[in-house]
This record gives sequence, C-alpha cells and structure tokens, in this order.
Amino acid sequence: MPNSSWHRASTVAAVLLAAILSPSRAQAQQQAQGFAVERFYPSAAGAGWFVMDALDMQGDLGGAMALTLGYARNPLRIADGSQNLSVVSDEASADFGFAVTYRRFRLSLNMDMPLVITGNSGTLGGYSFKSPSVNPGTDPDTLADYRVGFDARILGQSDGPFRLGASAQLVIPNGRRGDYDTDDTFRGMVRALFAGDVGHFAYAGQLGVHLRPLDDSPTPGSPRGSELLFGAAGGAKLPVGRGADWAVVVGPEVYGATALRSFFSSSDTALEGLLSGRLEGTRVNRAQLRFKLGAGAGINRQFGAPEWRVVVGIEMFNRNQRPTLLGSQVDVTNP
Amino acid sequence: MLVGLAAWLLLAPARANAQAGPPSGHEDAAFDFMNLLSRNGLHDIDHETWNVYGQLTYISSWKRPFKAPYTNTDVNANVSAGTYSLLPTAERSFTGTFSLFFGLKLWRGGEAYFVPELIAERPLSGLHGIGGAIQNFELQKTGSATPQLYRARLFLRQTFGLGGEHVVKSSDPLQLGTVVDSRRLVLTAGNFTILDVFDRNSVTGDPRQTFLNMAFMTHAAYDFTSDARGYSWGGTAELYWDDWALRYGRITPPQNPNQLATDFRLWEHYGDQMELEHDHSLFGRPGAVRLLGYRNRVITGRFDEAIAAFQANPAENAADCTGFNYGSQNSSAPDLCWVRRPNVKLGIGINLEQYLATDVGVFLRAMVSDGKTEVDAYNPADRSVSFGAVAKGSLWRRPFDVAGLGFGMSWISAIHAKYLAMGGVDGFIGDGYLRQAAEGVVDGFYSVNLLKAVWLAGDYQFLWNPGFNADRGPVHIFGARIHAEF
Repeated sequence: MPNSSWHRASTVAAVLLAAILSPSRAQAQQQAQGFAVERFYPSAAGAGWFVMDALDMQGDLGGAMALTLGYARNPLRIADGSQNLSVVSDEASADFGFAVTYRRFRLSLNMDMPLVITGNSGTLGGYSFKSPSVNPGTDPDTLADYRVGFDARILGQSDGPFRLGASAQLVIPNGRRGDYDTDDTFRGMVRALFAGDVGHFAYAGQLGVHLRPLDDSPTPGSPRGSELLFGAAGGAKLPVGRGADWAVVVGPEVYGATALRSFFSSSDTALEGLLSGRLEGTRVNRAQLRFKLGAGAGINRQFGAPEWRVVVGIEMFNRNQRPTLLGSQVDVTNP
Repeated sequence: MLVGLAAWLLLAPARANAQAGPPSGHEDAAFDFMNLLSRNGLHDIDHETWNVYGQLTYISSWKRPFKAPYTNTDVNANVSAGTYSLLPTAERSFTGTFSLFFGLKLWRGGEAYFVPELIAERPLSGLHGIGGAIQNFELQKTGSATPQLYRARLFLRQTFGLGGEHVVKSSDPLQLGTVVDSRRLVLTAGNFTILDVFDRNSVTGDPRQTFLNMAFMTHAAYDFTSDARGYSWGGTAELYWDDWALRYGRITPPQNPNQLATDFRLWEHYGDQMELEHDHSLFGRPGAVRLLGYRNRVITGRFDEAIAAFQANPAENAADCTGFNYGSQNSSAPDLCWVRRPNVKLGIGINLEQYLATDVGVFLRAMVSDGKTEVDAYNPADRSVSFGAVAKGSLWRRPFDVAGLGFGMSWISAIHAKYLAMGGVDGFIGDGYLRQAAEGVVDGFYSVNLLKAVWLAGDYQFLWNPGFNADRGPVHIFGARIHAEF
C-alpha cells in the first residue's frame, strides 16, 4: 500500500513539524503585563465637575469629602484588523476623595477602590493577554493607585469670569498590574487649570502632562510613556430653591490623553465625553452637599477610553468666609 | 521581680484622672488634629459632622535562639516560607502600619466610616510555629515587606435613641463626637473587624498602646471569622440599656481558612456572635463583665475526620492534597484538605475589667472553644486565658506613659494534639511532631510618651511551649514600638 505508507509518513512528518514549530511559536508570544487602564481621574473633592476643576476655593480653612462610583464598559478593547479582544470588559470602582482648602489652595487625596475588573484572555498581535480578575470575593479590601494633589488658583476670584490655576498630583502605586489597576510605578500629573462663571454659564478646562514612566510599546493598547492631558467642560448654572440656596449645573465634559511620542495618533489617543449634571448647595459657612450624575462614551475608543461610562457622585463640602470647618450641620432643609 | 512589679502596679495609689489604655479626654490629653482645630474655634468637636484621625505604628521584634530538637521544614517553600515551626535561630521581625480614620455624619444618628491602611511586615518564621501568643498583634494582617495599601474598614452605623440619660461620646477614631441616649439601638453594617464591636476591654484598650502580644488583643481561642487581615463584612446590632448591653453580629468567613478571599454567602457560611455586657461600679471604681459566645458555620476540616481519612487511605496525606492546603509535603501525615466541608465551631468566654484605682486597671479573659475543627481565621488555640494589669504613668508624674504586665496561656484539644503529633499542619502551626503542652507567655511593656502624640515602648516577652509543643522553647522575644497619633 504505497499510498497508505506515504500518507502515514506525511502525517508523522506533519505532527513532528507541528511539534517542533509550536514551542517556538509559543515562545514568540509575549505576555502583556497590564497597566493602569483607567482614564477617568475624578477631580479633587469639592472641585465641582467630575474631571475638571472649578477652582472655586475660598475663605479660611475648609474641606470636602467625596464618593464617586463609576462603571466603564470595554475600557481596554484592542484590535489587530482581523479580530478584537476586550482585555478589560467591565470595570466598576469607587473613588474616595478628601480635600482641605485654605484660601486659594487645596490639598487633596483620592483613593481608588476597584470593585470589579473583568475581561477576556487571548492572544492578539503576538501578545498574550490575561484577563484581570478583581471582585469583592477574591479581593475584599483592594485599593488601587492613590493620588495626592496640590492645587492653587493663581489668577481670578473664586466666582470670577476667569480663573487660572495650577495642579500637581503624585500617583502612588498600589495594586497589581495584571489587574489593570496600576502601572506599579510612581506617576505624576502637572496641569494648568482654568475655569470661570459668566452669568449662568460655567466652564472649566485643563492642559497638562501625565509623567508616566511606563512604556510597554509595542504591546497593543499599552501606555507609551508620558502623555498630554487635556479637557474642557461647560454648562448652564441655574439657581433653584428658595433664596437660590441650591444650583443645578448641566453640561458636557470632554477629556482625554495622548502619548507624547505619538502625538494625537488615533491608536494612542483616548478621547471621552461625559454629559454631567449636578445639584449643589450654594450657601457659605455651612456644610453643603453636591449630588452628581454623568453618562458618556468614548469618542475615540482607544488607549483606555471606554465604550460607555456612567458615574454618580456625592460630596460634602463648604465654602467658608469665616473660620469654621465644614460647619456644624449639613444643610438639607432647603432642597 | 515580675510578681513584685505586678503587685506594685496593682496596689500603687492613684493620683491622676486619666484612665489606663488609649489616650482619653481630648480637651486636656493627647494631641491630635481635630483637637487642634477645636481649640482654635475651627471645629465643633462635641457635635461633629466629620472627623479625621491618623496613626502610625512601627514595631520591631527580636527573637533569641532557643532550644528545639526538631523543626518542621517539610513544606513547599513557595507556599509557606520554608518552615512550619518557629525557627530556633535568632530572627528579627517588624510591622509598620499607617491608618487614616475618616468619619462622616450622614443624617440624624447615621454615620459613615472609612479607614484606608498601609502595612508592611516581616513575621518571625513566616508567621509559623506560635499558637495563641504571636509576639506582635499586627501580624494578624497579611502583608509583605513592601508596603501595601488596603481598605481596612468601610461601614455605616445607625443609632436609634430609646431614652434614658445622655451619654457623651467623645471624638475619636471611628467615633464622631456626639451625645447619645443611655438606652439605644446601634446597627452597624459593612466592612469592619468584629473586635470593633465585640470583646472590648478598656483596660487592655487599643493594642497599639498596650501589649504587643496577640494573646491580649482578644481571646486567643476566639476564632472570629474574617479575611486574612482580620476584617469581615456583615452586620451587628447592639442594644444598650443603661448599664446593660446585648450584642449580636453575623459576619463573613474566608473562602478557605486564613485566606484573604471572602465567602459572601452569609446565609450559608457565617460567624455568629452574641455578647452580654454589664457595666458596674465596685468600691467606686468602674468595671465591666462580658459574656461572649460564638458559633461559626464555615468550610473547615475536623481533626478526627482528617485522621480517619488518612488511616483508612494513606494516599490521603498532606503531600498529595488536591484541594487547598498550607503547602505541607509530608506524605506520612494527615491533612485537613481531604475533609473540608461546612462545619460548626462553638466557643464561649468571659471578659472582665476592673479599675482598682483611677489609673490602674486589671483584666481577665477566658474562653473555651470546642476544639474539633481547624483554625478558620484567628489562631489555633482551643482554650485560652489571659490576665494582667495596665497602669498609666500618672502614678509617677508621667500621665501619658503606659505600663503593663500580662500573662496568657492557651491550650489545644486532645484530638487537635493527636493530629499535630501525626505531622499534620493547622494554619500556623505543625512541628511535624508534638509533645502536647499549654503554650504560655508573659508580656511586660513600658511606653514613654513624647509631646503627647508619640509613644516609644520597650517590650519583653517570655514564651514557653511555642506551638503547644513541650519539646521546643522557651523563647525570649524583645520588642520596641514607636506609635504616633494625630
């Protein structure tokens, strides 16, 4: 049976060839290490917007506490032209913010608590990706990177038409790269901030640099080193309630980041929009509450911008014109 | 000398108003940020809507070499730091913790608390070989030499006033300054340690201020369910009725014993505890009696079943475990991994505190657990007793100094001892062989206060029969602690 022999011999050869080649192919695949995928950096407690900073610090010693809950869908989805892989498909987190203000200055602390980070494992572009796995059962007390920040208003009054400020933040690593909640390196953010109130219009913006040592190129979707940060927000600010003790602010926030080494290239630029609304107390010298709600989507869904995102927040803050800190009573009597 | 010191501590006359234990009386006592604001008219410390406190503690321990005819190193070094015994060589250990305590008033009677904590640690012998008397209480919190931040607490507390007299609650970590009724219902839900609510003792107080040894933090035999850092999710209810208090709590256990992953199926696996407290006055000095019972229904292994499984089929040994185990490679020893299933563990204990003078208090804790199952979350002791005295330095004109002397002993059950003698491993102990004995410790410390906010402490511990093994020890452990509150 010459045909049978030839067939058997060719089968054995194919198996041997596959066996020889398979390990080398496997060795060629590199394991993606993970990084801090989140592009939504909540503003300091009491800063007004979700991401931007209203720069309205005033009075003597004051302070704020904030809780921001968020969910992002597909914040890390990579593609090589023929296939897609949602490495991080679901991300829910809680951000705890604390701030102390004194006149034009603010010192803040933000702590990010991942609630759920899940995704899909797979191979793409010669890289092997392992899905993150954070859930309350296996990680009951996880905290990710935390940020210590200092902000200062350099020009303008707290309620003026134009305010200019500067911000510096240190990101202290905590967490696991494989869970996509940290770079495992210190990072820094230096930003110029601007904001203002013109009649019933409020706006804010930022332009700065994210000093990021991690450069995992050419791993798809990974950081490319330091980045440019940018963003702007604007909206209508309308008084509500008896005596205008409360105000509603509704408007969009657009923000993003692009790698400095591939400036505004599509694959290395994240751009995201958020329609946000907030209800906030306006009285001075009393503890005030601010309720925030936002929903949005990735405009350029690369580099960590999600498919869509929802966020809610609550803040307790004060605007002191005399020396009391957060007052002695939360004012919820005049909604 | 120790007896003499104890007698002097107990009998010396009181001359100051502060009580033993943690700092008290913010207006005239310890320095802290909230007090500073209050003194400058920037904060209403008696009726708070928020507060923030912090603490920093570094503890260093040094263990002298000791006598040990055998040491169990038959373990997977990747899992268990290469030993299951307390190493007989000299060793150093440290822990460093940094905590922030945020409190916020939400509404009438409603409060929220959030505590992030940073820890770095290196235990003695990979935290193995000591049963109920681990030399540093902070080591119950899993960590590594690299500092790690985690969320220690996040919970809500709701107080419903039921009348009676007014009770002032001073501003403190995990307590907003306020006034409550002496008759009240307090509900707590979220993430906390059960020791925030149960088995409090104002004499031993905050362990960061008093004894270093874990035997004095709570009952050594109180195997309260928690994750590997000692924190749990769940809820508690406390009914205060003047001098009486009744407490109940249900909290989460770990998915596997002594691990961080938490089992949230509270209707299926849980730790229940109930405590009855009565505060009294004896010869004009305050005191309290607390009866505590707990019942865990958790996934653990029974010692008798592990032994029986091994004797029936030697293939069911420690080295061949197919489920979770602690890395033992001993193929001639039984292992609990073969018999883990939902089991019940019971314990009951008493906690006494009594001030003998204004500044001198004594305490006693004793507990008996059933000793049938492995340690689930705390430590392997099945029975324990601890007692001692704590005094503040007002007796010698240093009112913020603290000194204490304590004695603790713990035991294991006969079946527990048989399992260990066969080479089994239970959580933190397993010398490969065992000559059963009670493990004991004497702990003495002196804490010097500096600037009302920093305490420097020296500590000595004499530990005998480590791991309940009469063949090993005794061990001398010297410690130093720096503690700051702000």
